[in-house]
Amino acid sequence: MASTQLTDEQLFSELKRLGFTPGPLTENTRPVYLKKLKKLREEQQQQRSRGAKGRNSGSISNNSGSGGTNGNTAAGASGFRTRAPLNAAPSPGGRRDLNEKRTDRAGKFVLGFSSDESDAEAPLKKGGPSHNGSRRDRGSGPQSRCVRPTQETPAAARRSPGAHLGLSAVRRSAFTSPWWTDQAKSDLGETQSCVAKDNDYGEPEERDDSEEETEKSSRTVNGNRASYAADASKLAGDYSDSDEEEDREGQRYRARRHLSRGEPKSASSPYRSVRESESGQEKASGIIAVNDPPGVGSLDVMGERGEDDDETSEFSGGLFNRSYPKSSSFISGVMDEKDGETSSSRPAGCSKNHVDGGDGVASRFRIGLRPRFSSCNNSLSTTYRPNHSNHTGSNHSYSQAAHKHKQAVPEDELLQQFRREEVSSTGGFSAHYLSMFLLTAACLFFVVLGLMYLRMRGSSASEGVVGKCCVSGCNSPGGDYDCLNNTEKDLILSLLLQLHDHLADIAGEHDCKDLTDPLNRSISFSEATQYLKLRNKDYENWIQSSLEWIIKTGETAGIRLIAADPTQPVEDVSEIYRLESTHPRMSFLCRFRRAFLIVIYRAILILTGIGVVWGLMCYMKYRWRREEEETRQMYDMVERIIDVLRSHNEACQDNKELQPYLPIPHVRDSLVQPQERKKMKKVWDRAVTFLSANESRIRTETQRIGGADFLVWRWLQPSMSCDKMCSIPSKVWQGKAFPLDRRNSPPNSLTPCLKIRNMFDPVMEIGENWHLAIHEAILEKCSDNDGIVHIAVDKNSREGCVYVKCLSAEHAGKAFKALHGSWFDGKLVTVKYLRLDRYHQRFPQALACSTPLKPSNSSMNTMVRLHQRSSPSSSLAFS
Amino acid sequence: MSTTSQKHRDFVAEPMGDKPVTALSGIGEALGKKLEEQGFDKAFVVLGQFLLLRKDRELFAEWLKDASGANARQAGACSQCLQEWCDAFL
Repeated sequence: MASTQLTDEQLFSELKRLGFTPGPLTENTRPVYLKKLKKLREEQQQQRSRGAKGRNSGSISNNSGSGGTNGNTAAGASGFRTRAPLNAAPSPGGRRDLNEKRTDRAGKFVLGFSSDESDAEAPLKKGGPSHNGSRRDRGSGPQSRCVRPTQETPAAARRSPGAHLGLSAVRRSAFTSPWWTDQAKSDLGETQSCVAKDNDYGEPEERDDSEEETEKSSRTVNGNRASYAADASKLAGDYSDSDEEEDREGQRYRARRHLSRGEPKSASSPYRSVRESESGQEKASGIIAVNDPPGVGSLDVMGERGEDDDETSEFSGGLFNRSYPKSSSFISGVMDEKDGETSSSRPAGCSKNHVDGGDGVASRFRIGLRPRFSSCNNSLSTTYRPNHSNHTGSNHSYSQAAHKHKQAVPEDELLQQFRREEVSSTGGFSAHYLSMFLLTAACLFFVVLGLMYLRMRGSSASEGVVGKCCVSGCNSPGGDYDCLNNTEKDLILSLLLQLHDHLADIAGEHDCKDLTDPLNRSISFSEATQYLKLRNKDYENWIQSSLEWIIKTGETAGIRLIAADPTQPVEDVSEIYRLESTHPRMSFLCRFRRAFLIVIYRAILILTGIGVVWGLMCYMKYRWRREEEETRQMYDMVERIIDVLRSHNEACQDNKELQPYLPIPHVRDSLVQPQERKKMKKVWDRAVTFLSANESRIRTETQRIGGADFLVWRWLQPSMSCDKMCSIPSKVWQGKAFPLDRRNSPPNSLTPCLKIRNMFDPVMEIGENWHLAIHEAILEKCSDNDGIVHIAVDKNSREGCVYVKCLSAEHAGKAFKALHGSWFDGKLVTVKYLRLDRYHQRFPQALACSTPLKPSNSSMNTMVRLHQRSSPSSSLAFS
Repeated sequence: MSTTSQKHRDFVAEPMGDKPVTALSGIGEALGKKLEEQGFDKAFVVLGQFLLLRKDRELFAEWLKDASGANARQAGACSQCLQEWCDAFL
């Protein structure tokens, strides 16, 4: 082409002629505009050659939209034509983006801030239902959005005056192929806006968020066939900064699922833009055979896939175009049936079609397809049936099938998620039981073990001992028993055994009955002999010898021999005064009880010890904190005193009549409120001593004032200029960065809750009560607005977030205007709206707040700078 | 997956001041170098180019692709970033 020989002016005028308003032509922009010129020329040719094909008109719509964005209002009509073949270029998408941006400015800014970790909306894992619901809403969402602009926003170029005309025309006219070519423009104008809206879903998540919310609101609107007004109000109420990431994931997920079902039909894809190149094969399948009834699924694929990318804008346009030729019959059916419904249903259909991210167009004609619009789809499909005659039965049935399939898809997801939860819950259930069972088994085991041990200990002790005696009997050093015969040994042993048992019983009784009389634990020698004689007459002779044997062998045999003097060991049988068992036999219960009691006592002891230690630590902590607090108060007081003195000194400089010193009690009384004086006495005294010891700029002296002697403070430091500079107040409002207009802020306030960002830096803040300063600052900035009822500073947020709840949305709007874009403490503050219910979720204490908050004192400390300045400090905006 | 990256969010959150061109979303080291060679060493210079093109995202993306060899995604991200910045601060 001869474009290289064009001069700048020629290029400029050429572009203008083609309906495109270029910017200044510089060396950098020249090549771009040259390319643009080439494209425009090609389009022109294409358009002329193509004539009134659907695609062109479809692209016309896109292009007209984009043309409008470029300020080509007047050239709308011509723009339509010239834009027609622009599909191949990336421009449609870009234009559309711009379009959407312009038109969606209203809602955009609210969504303008991406959510962060400290958002009121925690990134919840929404389940399937909400997920699908949100997606469902998406479909309805665009509709409302697209409706609103058509109704409310004044002439954007795109919205041709024929928009409404087109609406009605679409409704009523018979839709044959020529239909849309004629009506294309008007209809396009109307649908254009819808397209634009839907294209928005390709936009960053912020938009997705709000759109999702608007969809949600509009979903109910759709369901109820409510009026737009209700829709708008619902939109306002539902704005939130929910996490859009899950949405994205869900979209992708769905896209993939649809993709798997898509039938890759060959189709020309003249509209594939550069951006779509990334999606490669998906594109091929996506573009599809929109023209076939079975292509329904694929359309969805396209739509779905489109959602994932930012460049979905092309999609909707492309889809729109493509679907036109084939679905005319559909349209008629749809439109006709829609006639029977309220007006809102029409936009519902419109928006549904335009679904976000590009599947919109398809759905327009395949209402049942999108699971998103399942609610609307259901209603529509029910109304569909009566109008069956209007469109091919196959189409309808297929769409129904597809619709059902589509519906099944999200339900499957839902079910799967539920199943997963169920499984986990049952698993947990059984696991719980298992653990309980194991625990009880272990306990039982140990209990049984203990029982057995106790029993064995009680019973075998004596036998073991006696057994030992047996064995060693013959080898005793005593020598007396060396050649005892067995019967005698047995006798002795049995005697000892009997004795031992008896003694054990007695001792056990004694112990168990908790008698304090120690004497009863043992029995006297005579009693023992008596008992043994009772048992067996033969024992009599052997008592002595057995006891001697016990003494000699040194084996206790479970019997302790006590002499008259308890401390002396027994040497001879004659010294034996009492006998006692060393292994008292107690009933099991008794043993258990004793053991239990012992354990309890020990446990109590340990616990008491721990408790004491812990109490001590708590006390220490408390004291330490108290001290810290007091020290901080003291320093605070010291600073205030210094400030007072310094300011007094400065005042003295100006006014020579004042005395350069201040009496200490006067300072105290001016700084400390009367009701606090008693409490602060200690702090004050500490501050005074601190000042006298550590502050060199203040001198304490005695002066006579009014006849009485006062201790006074005199400020010594000569005023330095740098002193003033150093006293930059830290937390003040410093002016507005940019004026708030329609582009920067939502046109109406949406919710009564605000989230204010970038008011502080959590790592830089020190002390305990800096958040109160933030409260003060906000209240003072919005002092004209009596509607702030709750403020919450999120101390841990990285972005310095503050949450504010107002009495109503208008109050919130006023606060928004006052706060958004202002500079505070060197940081640019941004505000966005939050959903009320989410706010309450996060701050349940705000539910009850209804009294407006006021700044604590009327001295507007944080507005000092603003009041000082006479001119707005907009220069700070771009520092 | 979020459509806008952290870089984007960081850029759009505050006035760009003197940020280098690599602070733009979509512009990494390699692209940044190429742009710097052409004289676009700061983000505001690229902003200037964006404004010269009358804030037309598509045109700007085209230009960026030509000027630095960016691919479609990068150019799109950059243009989106700049557009949002303009919406917020311009």
